[in-house]
Amino acid sequence: MRRTFLLWLMVFMIIGFFATFAISFYVQTEQAEENGHTLIQLRIEDIKEQLDINSRNLEEIRIESDLNALAKVRALAKMIELNPDIIFFDEILEDIRVMLEVDEMHIADAQGILIGGTEASYLGYDMASAPQSAAFMPAISDKDFELVQDPMPKGINNEIFQYAGVARIDLPGIIQIGYRPEKLAETMEVADIRNLAAGFRVGKSGILMIADTDGTIVSIGNDQYLNKSLEEYGFAEGTFDNPDAESLLTLVNGEKTLFAYDDYEGYRIIGLLPADEMYLNRNSTIQLLVVFNLAMFTIIFVLIAVLVQKKVINGIYQVNDSLELITEGNLDEHVDVRTNLEFESLSDGINTMVAALKRTIKEVETKIDAELYYAKTIQLAALPTRILETGEHHRFNVKGTMFTAKEVGGDFYDFFVVDKNLLGVAIADVSGKGIPAAMFMMEAKSLIKHYALTKIPVREVFCKANRSLCENNRANMFVTAFLGVIDLETGVFSFCNAGHNPPLISRQGGDYTWLKSKAYLVLGGMEDIAYREQEIFFEPGDRLFLYTDGITEATNSAQELYSEDRLLQTINQLPRDIPIGDLMLSVKKDVDSFAAGAEQADDMTMLVLEYLGGKTWKSQEQ
Amino acid sequence: MEITRTIGEEAITIAVEGRLDTVTSSQLEQEVSEVFEEEKTNIVFDFASLEYISSAGLRVLLAAQKQVNALGTEMRIIGANDVVKEIFEITGFSDIMQIE
Repeated sequence: MRRTFLLWLMVFMIIGFFATFAISFYVQTEQAEENGHTLIQLRIEDIKEQLDINSRNLEEIRIESDLNALAKVRALAKMIELNPDIIFFDEILEDIRVMLEVDEMHIADAQGILIGGTEASYLGYDMASAPQSAAFMPAISDKDFELVQDPMPKGINNEIFQYAGVARIDLPGIIQIGYRPEKLAETMEVADIRNLAAGFRVGKSGILMIADTDGTIVSIGNDQYLNKSLEEYGFAEGTFDNPDAESLLTLVNGEKTLFAYDDYEGYRIIGLLPADEMYLNRNSTIQLLVVFNLAMFTIIFVLIAVLVQKKVINGIYQVNDSLELITEGNLDEHVDVRTNLEFESLSDGINTMVAALKRTIKEVETKIDAELYYAKTIQLAALPTRILETGEHHRFNVKGTMFTAKEVGGDFYDFFVVDKNLLGVAIADVSGKGIPAAMFMMEAKSLIKHYALTKIPVREVFCKANRSLCENNRANMFVTAFLGVIDLETGVFSFCNAGHNPPLISRQGGDYTWLKSKAYLVLGGMEDIAYREQEIFFEPGDRLFLYTDGITEATNSAQELYSEDRLLQTINQLPRDIPIGDLMLSVKKDVDSFAAGAEQADDMTMLVLEYLGGKTWKSQEQ
Repeated sequence: MEITRTIGEEAITIAVEGRLDTVTSSQLEQEVSEVFEEEKTNIVFDFASLEYISSAGLRVLLAAQKQVNALGTEMRIIGANDVVKEIFEITGFSDIMQIE
């Protein structure tokens, strides 16, 4: 049971372990993706903010720079109004240029033709001839005209250059300055979107890139992909078509990547985070969790196993030990496992059951005892008790006695008058004990007596009784029997011994000796046994002592048998003229003292026949 | 009491040790019935270590003898001590059984 329990426990623990693992994995994955997404979104927001800051800075500096430029060009216009001749003095113009910290100065007439300036090569240039310079032409007619142009690259260096111009005050014409707006250029450099993406990273190895509306990458850390299309970078076609798919886990450039994007002010800001990095945390967390869970589940398993062993298994073994004792027959065993409520209830239940069992057994025992008592009574009632006398002469004494064992047995003795001169004596012992033996004994007894009363020879009595007992003797029971018939007139004693203990005989007050008798097979053993009878001659005063093996096989506590030798010794120590009843009692007494309290295992049966003579009268006390 | 069964080429030997009384005879009876159930064979009772036999034990032997007679096989009793042999003689078993 313990093995099965632990096996199942282990199965459930393993299932629990994997379930925990799966749930953790799922939750951690979700968490990692959400974290990755948030990380990208935050970077995109950062970029957006940076874009805003840059454009705000640019605007402020532009305004300041423009105002500065206008002030300078207005100052120049005022100087020329005060002294128009300076237009033609290159040295003076150069001094003024240096003072104003500008790079170029140009003065155009009412036709827009350059008539003076710091750049001699430009003299005569028609400002209306190019769109950039033509933008200043309205100044000729509009006295309040002011313009600061957008910065633009100029010359072979592509240096940022800017022009500002106003109307000439004294005469119609244009006053213009050209300058390198250094601070503005710096700010513009910073604000240049191309430089933006390189300054941002997502996590450790994730990047940001900015594309324009056509899908061309305009800003990216790796210059290799600058001005390439998003498809060329590795995005699958149609990746950005789904408006809901603002955050996706997909293959980018052959690598599993989480990406998110946001469209902002004509740009598409895209953030990428490699899945490997995104799951780095999850993987280490899961690793830790696996180790931790493994340890915890093992501890729990051991704990449960130990607890079950202590609280349940040990109790079961204890109960089982008690049950074994009870099964072996010790109904006084008390089950007393009180480790918990369930075992208390089980113990009490078993104790109650055993008590009930004990009661029932007692009842049954009482009933069986009563039945055995009746059986014994019937058995004993079948034995002859009265003293037999034939005719007016007292020619013999015969007496039998039976001391039954606790269990009903199969011994019997018998004596009966066949006719006025014939007396039959018999003793027998049925194999086994109990009711079957008792029933077999009754049958054997009546068969023997029945056939003996038909006056047929003893041998035939046994042959017939044997045949009858063998019929349907399925239980293979048998009976050892001794039958003798004495002719009271002649003293001729004819007998047959079917497997019974040999009798003792005392001749006219002499010592008892074994009566030499041929041992035939027990009755009921085999059919068609040819029993033969033997004959001896009884003299007056001869005594025949018949007994069953309950005497000779009486056993003491040392498992010693009383034995034929002891019987012979005992009986020979008694006075020869002891009354035959006392003779048997004395033998019984000796057997009892030998057994010394050991329980009597078998019936003890004895019969004594004393022949007193043909016609003689002899008073004999019984 | 202890019963040992040895399967030989010509017979199955059942060796009995100790006392064969009312209680222990049923064990021998069980053993013998198992032998007869298995096959039709000669049977040998080795009583070299048998101390005592009661009528219940004799009953088992008688039943076995009857069975052997019916099957047409042989049954032998070997090694019985004097006490046991005497019981066989008294009861007439020695007339119908092969006791060596």
